[in-house]
Amino acid sequence: MPDTLARLNEVFQQVFDDEELEITPETSAKDVDGWDSLMHVTLIVNAEKAFGVKFSSSEVAALKNVGDLVHLIDSRKHAG
Amino acid sequence: MSTATELFKRTSALRKEGRLDVALAMLREAMARGGLSPEEVDRAGRFIRKARGEGAGGEPGLRVHLLGQFTTSWLVPAVTAVGWGQGIASDVEEGGYDLVLQDLTRLSASSEPPGVVVLFPWNNRLLNGSAQAGDRVADELAFWKQAWEIAGRMGARVLQVGYDWMAPGAEGYALAAETGGTIDLIRSVNTAIRQNRPPGSYFLDLELVSGMMGREAFYDPRRYYWTKQPFSERGVVRLAEHVVAGIRALTTGPKKVLVLDLDNTLWGGVVGETGPLGVALGDSPDGEAYRAFQKHAKALSKQGIVLALASKNNEADGREPFEKNPDMVLSLDDIAAAEICWEPKGSTIRRIAQTLNLGLDSFVFVDDNPAEREQVRQAIPEVAVVDVPVEPAEYVRALQAGLWFETTGLTDADRERAAQYAVERQRRELQQTAGSMEDYLRSLEMLADVREIDEADLMRVVQLLGKTNQFNLTTRRHTREEVVRMLDRPGSIGMTLRVEDRFGDHGLVGVLLAVPSDDDPQVLRVDTWLMSCRVIGRTVEEFTCADLIDRAERMGYRKILGEFLPTKKNALVAELYDRMGFRRLESSDGASVLYALELAGSARPVHYLTPKGAAIGAESVGAA
Repeated sequence: MPDTLARLNEVFQQVFDDEELEITPETSAKDVDGWDSLMHVTLIVNAEKAFGVKFSSSEVAALKNVGDLVHLIDSRKHAG
Repeated sequence: MSTATELFKRTSALRKEGRLDVALAMLREAMARGGLSPEEVDRAGRFIRKARGEGAGGEPGLRVHLLGQFTTSWLVPAVTAVGWGQGIASDVEEGGYDLVLQDLTRLSASSEPPGVVVLFPWNNRLLNGSAQAGDRVADELAFWKQAWEIAGRMGARVLQVGYDWMAPGAEGYALAAETGGTIDLIRSVNTAIRQNRPPGSYFLDLELVSGMMGREAFYDPRRYYWTKQPFSERGVVRLAEHVVAGIRALTTGPKKVLVLDLDNTLWGGVVGETGPLGVALGDSPDGEAYRAFQKHAKALSKQGIVLALASKNNEADGREPFEKNPDMVLSLDDIAAAEICWEPKGSTIRRIAQTLNLGLDSFVFVDDNPAEREQVRQAIPEVAVVDVPVEPAEYVRALQAGLWFETTGLTDADRERAAQYAVERQRRELQQTAGSMEDYLRSLEMLADVREIDEADLMRVVQLLGKTNQFNLTTRRHTREEVVRMLDRPGSIGMTLRVEDRFGDHGLVGVLLAVPSDDDPQVLRVDTWLMSCRVIGRTVEEFTCADLIDRAERMGYRKILGEFLPTKKNALVAELYDRMGFRRLESSDGASVLYALELAGSARPVHYLTPKGAAIGAESVGAA
C-alpha cells in the first residue's frame, strides 16, 4: 500500500505537471487544482498504464478519494 | 528513467527558472523527433498551451477552434503539441460538447474570429434517428451546410471531419454495408459532404484514418461512455496528426520539396562500388521495394512536389544509374536540383533551397542513414526529416505517415510544377553563359499574360494568398469569400499574371488585388501584391507595376497607395515600392509602411516582358 501510494503520487505529479504535489489517502478532487471530470479520466488512464491494470466503468464511478484508488489498484494487483 | 521522464523534469525546472522559451524549444525538438507516448504528447501539449498562455513561445499563432459533436478536450493539447513539433504555432481552443452551431454563431460575433474551424461530427443522430435513411443523410448535410455558411461569413477556413463507425453493429459485417445499413449510411453522408463542402475546405476522412490504424486500436468505447470522447489515447494523437496536416493544407499549403538520398534510399547498395547496373532495383524483393519508393516519389512530383537529390557520392557515380540503368523509375528530368558531392548534407540542402528559391521549412528529407538524418536535424531544424526504417519495403509508409503533402486540391500549376523546375535548370545554365544581365533577360523572350481574376483562377489565387510568404507585400490570407467581395466592389482591380519564356510556361505567378480607397474614390489602394519566387529577378515585378499604373490611369484614378506589412519572411520586398518609384509616406505607423504614387506624369518601371498578343519587343520599355 505505501508503495502504491508513492507510485501513484508520481502519476499525479506527471498528470498535473506539478513536482511538489503530495497526495494522501484522503486527497480528493476538491483538494487538487485542475482535478475536474476530464482530468479525472486522464488520471485514471495514466494510473492504469503505470500499474498495468484496467478498471471497469463502475469501479471508476465508485471512487471517492485517493485511498479508494489505492485499494482498487492493490486488490487488482493481488488478484492478478 | 526514460528520456521522456527526463525531458519533463527539465521542462519543469526551466519553468521554475522562468526560462519557458528554452522549455518550449526542447518540446518542439522532442515532438519533431517523435517517439513520445500518447500520455507524454498530452502532457507536452498542456505544457505548451500554458506556457504560450503566459506569453512565451513567440507571437500569438493561428487561432484554431475545435467544434465537435463529441468531447474535444483531449484533442486540444494533442493538436497543440503535434502542430508545435511541426513548426505550426497554433493557439487551439474548443467549443462546448455538441454545441457546434451555437458556438459558431457566438464566434462569428466576436471581434477576433478563429482562422480555422475544425468541425467534428459524431454518428449518434445519423445511426439512431427514426427518419428514413435518405432523410437522415440529408439532415446531417443540412446541419453542416449551416456550419459552413457561418464559418464562411466570419472568414474562417473549414476543416471538416467525416463520419465514422466504431463497429459494424447488429447487422453484422455482411449487411451493414448494404444499402441502408449503418456503414452504408456513414459512407453516404461522407460522400454528400465531400460533394458539397465549401471550395478550399479540407475534408478529413475519418473512415480512412481509423481504418489505417485499425478501429480496435483507434477507438475506446469505454472512453465514449465516460466522457463522450470515443478515441483511445493513441487514437487521439493519430487524429491530431491528421488535423494538423489539414491545418497545414489550409494555411501554408503542403511541403513543397522532397530531398532524397541515393544509395540505399532510391536503390539498394552503393553505386560507387557496384556500378550503375549492380545496384538493387527491380528483380529482387529489395529491388522491387526501392522501385516502389521511386514510383511513389515520381507520383508526388506529378502532384507538384519538387524532387531534389542530396547524396554523398562522386557526382558521375551518382548520376550513372539515372543515365544507364533501365530499371530506374526516376529520370534526371524529374529532378529540380541535385547536390551530389562529399559536403555535409546540412550545407548541400541549404544550397538546394537557394537554387530553388524555396524556404527550408517546406523541405522533407529522406535518407536511410541515421547519422545523415541527425546531421540535417541539427544543422537545419526546420527541415522535416523522415525516420525511415531499415527495411526498404517500409519506406513509402514511413514517408506517407508524416502527412507532409496533404492538400485541399490540385491545380494545373501543381501538375505542371515539376516540368517547370526541370526547365529552370536549363535557364540557370543559360544565365551562366550569357554576358550582361540585360542580354540574359532579353534572351529569355518573356511573355506576360495579364487577366482579370475569374472563377477558374479563384482557387489558385486563394491558394497563393494562403501560402506565399516571401514576395508578399501584405501577407493578407484572404478567404475565397473575401476575394469575391473585393472583386465585386466597383472600381476594384483583381489581376493575375502568367509568364512564359523560351524554355517553357511558368503558369500563374502573380496576383494583385486593389480597391478604391475608403477616403477618396480617386485613390486606388493596393490591398495585396504577391508573386511566386520562381520569377524573381526577371523584372516581372516591374512589369506588374507598369501594368497596374496603365490600368489605374485608364480607370481614372489619380493616385495609387501601396503598403508594406513586414513579416518574418518578406524582407525580400521591403523596398519594392521604393524601387518602383513610389514615395514613402510620413504617416507610416509602426506596423506597416505606406507609399503613394501620383499617376500624373509618373514613369513606368523598366522591364523585359512583352504582353502576350503584342509583337515581341514592341511594348517592352526595357527592350525599346
